[in-house]
This record gives sequence, structure tokens and C-alpha cells, in this order.
Amino acid sequence: MQKTLRAKRASFSAIEEDHGYAARRLDYGPGALNEEPKRRYHILLMAPAILTLAAITIYPFFWLIYMSLHKVSVARSDRWVGLDNYARLFGDVKYTDGWLLLVKYSALCLTLEILIGVVLAVILNGSRFEKVLVTVFLMPMMMSPVVAGLVWYYLYNGTFGWYHWLFQSIGILGETSILADIDTAMWGLVIVDVWQWTPLITLITLAGLKRVPQDQLEANMVDGAGSLRNFFTVSLPNIYPFLLIAILLRFMDNFRFIDHILVLTGGGPGNATRILPVYLFDVSFQFFKLGRGAAIAFTLLIVTIVLGLILVRIFDDPKKQVASGEAGETTDD
Amino acid sequence: MFYIPKNSVHKTVSRRKFLELGGGTAAALGIGSMTVGLGTVITRTPVSAASSEDAKWRQYEGTKLVFMSENTPPSFAIRDNIKAFYDLTGIEVEIITDGLPIVQQKVGIDLRGGNSDFALSYVQDKPIGAPFADFYSDLTPLLGDETLPQDPEGYGRDAWFENFLDVCGVYYDRDRLIALPYDSAVACTFYRQDLYEKYSKEFEAEYGYRLEYTKDSTWQNVLDFATFFKKLRDGGEDVPYGYAQHNGNFTWTTQLDIQRMQFANGRWIDFDIDDKLGSREPGPCNWGDEQSVLIMEKFKALGDVSHPDNLANGTLELNTVYQSGQIAMQVQYHEFAASVENAETSVAAGGKTAYAPCPKGAPDWIVNGGDAVNGTNCGIGGIGINGNASEDVKRAAYIFAIWATSKNTQFDVLKGVGGTPTRKSVMDIPEVQKARTRPTDMPNALTFDAVYDFGIKDPHFVLGPKIPEANEYHNIVAAESQNCLAGRTTPQEACATIKQQIDNLNGV
Repeated sequence: MQKTLRAKRASFSAIEEDHGYAARRLDYGPGALNEEPKRRYHILLMAPAILTLAAITIYPFFWLIYMSLHKVSVARSDRWVGLDNYARLFGDVKYTDGWLLLVKYSALCLTLEILIGVVLAVILNGSRFEKVLVTVFLMPMMMSPVVAGLVWYYLYNGTFGWYHWLFQSIGILGETSILADIDTAMWGLVIVDVWQWTPLITLITLAGLKRVPQDQLEANMVDGAGSLRNFFTVSLPNIYPFLLIAILLRFMDNFRFIDHILVLTGGGPGNATRILPVYLFDVSFQFFKLGRGAAIAFTLLIVTIVLGLILVRIFDDPKKQVASGEAGETTDD
Repeated sequence: MFYIPKNSVHKTVSRRKFLELGGGTAAALGIGSMTVGLGTVITRTPVSAASSEDAKWRQYEGTKLVFMSENTPPSFAIRDNIKAFYDLTGIEVEIITDGLPIVQQKVGIDLRGGNSDFALSYVQDKPIGAPFADFYSDLTPLLGDETLPQDPEGYGRDAWFENFLDVCGVYYDRDRLIALPYDSAVACTFYRQDLYEKYSKEFEAEYGYRLEYTKDSTWQNVLDFATFFKKLRDGGEDVPYGYAQHNGNFTWTTQLDIQRMQFANGRWIDFDIDDKLGSREPGPCNWGDEQSVLIMEKFKALGDVSHPDNLANGTLELNTVYQSGQIAMQVQYHEFAASVENAETSVAAGGKTAYAPCPKGAPDWIVNGGDAVNGTNCGIGGIGINGNASEDVKRAAYIFAIWATSKNTQFDVLKGVGGTPTRKSVMDIPEVQKARTRPTDMPNALTFDAVYDFGIKDPHFVLGPKIPEANEYHNIVAAESQNCLAGRTTPQEACATIKQQIDNLNGV
């Protein structure tokens, strides 16, 4: 095989030298599909995409770092302040509290979404109305977060909100609406996030459940396992990679999506729901402290990347891969 | 370099044709992006000082401008009536409206980014004017320009209600004017006269004075009223709460709520600066002093007997609470009278609501030796011109600004969806004078006695600090007041942390 490839490469180079690039077409027949193309040619083909990507991601990244080291005036010249913007963050209670609230918010959202999402997926999997129900469950996800925020704002409203009436009727809430109480406002946000994004977990888990090998499940049942044991010993190890993807996606979303929070509470009451991304928004677009905002954004970005990498590493864990790999092989068989 | 197919496009299209196509596409994209992205198009017919008035009004015929404004009645009414301006000038004005926090962000980005997508914008005094004043165009050269049409009533301080021009137009420098007063929101008391009459005897038996509200009613009285109604509710009676505060998530209006109570009691203000002018370096704030702590205690006491949704009720939500009959009294901005008097959406309509000045300070609550006044605050929305725009755009925008703030336009707005005039001369119109008493077809006029004849005059009017860091300042005061109301901090702690944060903010 290697010999053939070398021979083809040599023949290609000779033709190229003799007849220029126009001759290259001659060598791109069906038999040359496995040919290793020229590196330079690859780079040239990818260059537009790489340059576009660089323009929209890498350039802003370095611009963010630049801004975080300056007092930014946008229309006027920026002033170099070194690490002052970062140093100020350590004495900023709203910044440190913002981290704690973000961790709390993300943990609550993720835990509930995974639990409810997996349970829903298990119930839906193979049920008679699976397709209809999946379509219905996906509807919240189709809604823009701002619209979802507005819908829930009205549902929670203490004067005419239907959910407020419901919560009050069943004794969960008193006269104070969920968003007006410092102790419950965060739960109000978590409910909205869970309502909107649990369907994503359900969808991803459902896709995983479809790949669980039936023979393993049946063998397990023959061994006397009940449904619950079947789920934990066969289904769960098989859907593990899918769940990790779901967790990774939702984890990063919780660090980014603040639309519904801005609509529902704006970070209040007090600072009860001012998670770090909300504070970042306030600093940048309410107070127009773009340098300070960039410093907050940079720390947020770094932490997101590090945590994302940890999750990906867990995902790449060879032990887990073995489990899913074995499952895949069994399916193929 | 690369393989070129025999039938490639460039072989079937001539070079000239290719250039024509490319040029046409580029031009179309350019024009398209200008139309969609920038929005402003300018055309001009030169005029001189000796030209006719008509020629001066029409000198920018064919121009297109964008006006970013708050979603308040004047902008809706002007948008409905924009054809009148187009017929007069030939200038097309697109009015985009949104909630004030969004307007603040969009306008801020436009101004600070050196752009002029919004040639005109709404300059709410503290949230927009104070932080972005330097980015607006100075109107003073245009006010005396004879090649532009001018309002016959002029633009001096006397043409507007007291302080209005200074509040929304002057920031840190008396020689610059950046906005003309466009609309106003002045606080006054809305209360349910019917309920006050119904429970008057019961209240008098307990408190020793009548349940009635006058311009001499104090914040102590308001606390008594609210306590009385809460006690009735707790006793199982079907009565509304006595009072509700503005403590929702829009920080500016939330901090205004405690500001008026602080000022009423001893004319306490946040900084020792001239609020009409503002200051870039306001120095140490007065939060944390004995007077501010005492009023924070009273504010908390009032919150404890008020509507339970205080911390979710912004200005609009508070008005909804009042309209739905859940409270007997609110201190609200006078532009909301139109909605309260709308029988289709309000149970408080039909003569049940009376309007009066804001509550007065209580002598027992004053420890700084100041006077007890009817602390009345406001938001005066100006119309300003983007400083980044070209001279011609500024001139065309000016024509719209003077039309939008003219007496006739303000009268039309008042008649239409319920405006809040800023020009004094509107009050002289016989229809407006008549509308100040019931029955009226201009409900906002029912508040004019309390607002224009009383609240906005000295010594009652409190303007609030104009400082470049106004929005962060509002955020701090609002958040800490909410924490105090929620019982997370004591009044002393709340005032101390406000002082620490604000002084830190201002580099003190």
C-alpha cells in the first residue's frame, strides 16, 4: 500500500513539474481519492475560513485582553492602567458574590435539568406517543430567551400572574411573589431555565437511549434485573457520553445566557440574582466601564475554558471510553 | 495556479461586464448597508437668513433621521402624528421606542462608540444625560441661527417649567445646552378618595385624626395610613394595602423612591453640590449620617406595612397594582394619571382617585435642622442631538427637536395619548385649563395642580445628583435599599455600605 502511494506521489510530482497545475486534474480520478494532498494546497483552501474565524474570534480575544489593561473610552484614546482593572476585582464584593451566585445557579440548573431530562427521556423512549410528546417538549427550547423571560415575568407577576396564584394556592408562596423575595428570586430564575432547557437534555439522552444495545438489556433481564437495575447497569453507562455532551453544553450556556435574568430580575432584589455574567453586563453596558468589564469577562472566559477542558478530559477518560466502545461493538454485532 | 474549468464563469462573461456587475453589486451593498445600518440620509437645499420661513423648514427635504426614544406617551403620539412634521419639512423621522434601560444602552453605545446611528435621542436627565453629556451636541449655536426655523416662544428658562431646562439640558458646564425639555414625569400622590372616606371614622377612632390626604400630610401620616389598612387586612377585611413602594429592578426609579422621602425630611441631599448643574467630582456623599439612617429606618418601617410585592414593583408594575385596586395610595409619576383614569383597565377610575402633592416631611423625623418640605422628584426627558453627527444632520435634527417641543405639538400629545407638557404656555390654552377639573378628556391635567403649581417649585423640588457615575450610583442605592427592606441589612449597615461604595466610586 505504502509503495503504491509513494509511486503515485512520484508520478504526480513529475506530471506537475512537466505540465503545471492544470495537469493535476488528471491525477484526481477515482483512484486518487486516498491521495495525501499537498499541505500548501490544504492551507490555501482553508485560508479564507481560518481568516474569517480569526477575525471573529481570535481578534476579539486579544482586543478583550487589550481592553482589560486599559481605561477604555471608545471614542477617545484609551489609557494604559496595567493590571488595575484586575486588582480592583479582588476588592469588589459584587464580583466575588457574582461567582458564588453563578456557581449556585449553574449547579441548581444543571442538577435539575439532568435529573428531569433523563427521567423524561426514559419515560418517552419507546412510548406510544413519543414523537408527539417530544415535539411538545421541545417547544420551550424554540423560544427566544428574552421571550421566555417575558412570558414567565407575567406568569410570576404578583398582581395577575397565573403561576403566582397557583404557587400561592398550594401554599408554596405567601402573598409575596417569587421574584419579590430575596430568598426565592433565584429559584424563580432556575425554574425558567429548567423549563426552557430540560428538553435539550431529554433530546440528547433520548438519542443515547436509542443506541443502548437491546441484547444487553435482554441479557440483564434474563439474569433477573428489574427496570431500575437495567437502567443503572446497562442504559446509564451507554448514555454516559451523551450526558457529558449535554452537561458541557448547558454548563457553558449557564455562563452565557442572561437574557431571561435581565428581563425577570435585572440582578435583584438587592443583589440576590446578580450572577457574574449579569454583573459583567451591568459594568459594561450600564456603567460603561469597558475596561473593568473586559477584566471580568476575561476571568470568566478563563474559568469557562478550564472547566470546559476538565469536562472534556473526563469525557475522554479511557475507562469510560472502554464502556461505550464495548457497547458500540456489541451494537455492530 | 489552480485548475480552471473550460466553461468557467469568467470565460463566458466579458471583463467589462464582470466589472459592471461587480461595481453594481458593491454599490447596492453600500447603499443597502447605509439604509439598513445607519438609517440617516441627508439632503440639503441651502437657505439664507432672509429666506422664507417655509424654505427654512424645508431646507432638508428628503432627509431621513432616526430618533431613539423611551416608550412614553409623547413618543407614541408624535409617531402617530409624524405625517404633520413630514408635510411641514419633508424630513422623514423614524421613531424607535424602547424601555428606558434599553434606550440607555443603545444610545450609550452609539454615542460613546463615535457613531451617529441615532441622530436624535431621548435624554432622560440622570440615566442618559449625566453619563453621556459630553457626547451630545451643544445646541446653543443653533438656538440663534437665523438660517434655521425657530420657535417663536424661544428656549429661555422662562419658556419652560421651573428648572426643566437645567435638569435635562445643562450638565457640568453652564455654557453648554445639550437637550430641550421633551417630556416630564413628576411625582405626586394618587390616592383612593372613596376608600379614605369609607374608613375615615374607623381610622380617626384609632389614630385621633381624620383619614384624609392634603398637601400637609406627612410621611408619618402615610405610615399611619399604611399600618391602618394592613391591620384591617390582617383582621380579615377585604381592603387593599394602604401603600406600595417602587422597588423593582429598574434601579433609577427605585432609588428615586427613597430620595424623595430623604429630601422631604430636612431637605437632605446625597452630595453637597448644585444639582441643577451637577459635578464631575462630587466629593464625599452624605449617606451614613444620622439623618439618612433615620429615614432609612422609616423607609423600612413603611416597607414592612406596604404591598408585599414591593421588591418586584417597578414604576409600571406599581401602577398596575394601583389600577387593579390592590393599594389605596401610591406616589407615582403624573404621566400615569391617564392610565389610572381609563375605566377599561383601572378599578380606580371614575372619580375614585384624587391627586395631591407628594407627602411632606415629618418634623419628628428631622434631625439635621432642615425644613420639612413636600419632596418631589422627577425625570425630565430631553431631546438631544448626537454630537458625532455631521453639521447638516445636526441642523436637520434640530428642526425636529424644536417641532417636537413646540407648544402645539405638546398640546396635541396631551390631547391624544396623555402627554406631560414641558412648555409653560401649554397651561394657558383654555382647553387645558378646563381639563384640570373633572369631567376631563385630558386625565393627566388632573395632576397639574399638584405637579406644576406646587411640586416642581422650590423648596419642594429635588433634582437628584448629576454625576458621570450616575448609573452605578443608582445601582448601589437601589440594591442596598432593597437589601435593607428585605431585612438582610439594618438601616445603619445599609447606609454605611452605600457610603463606602459611592465614595469608592467617586474616588474619595
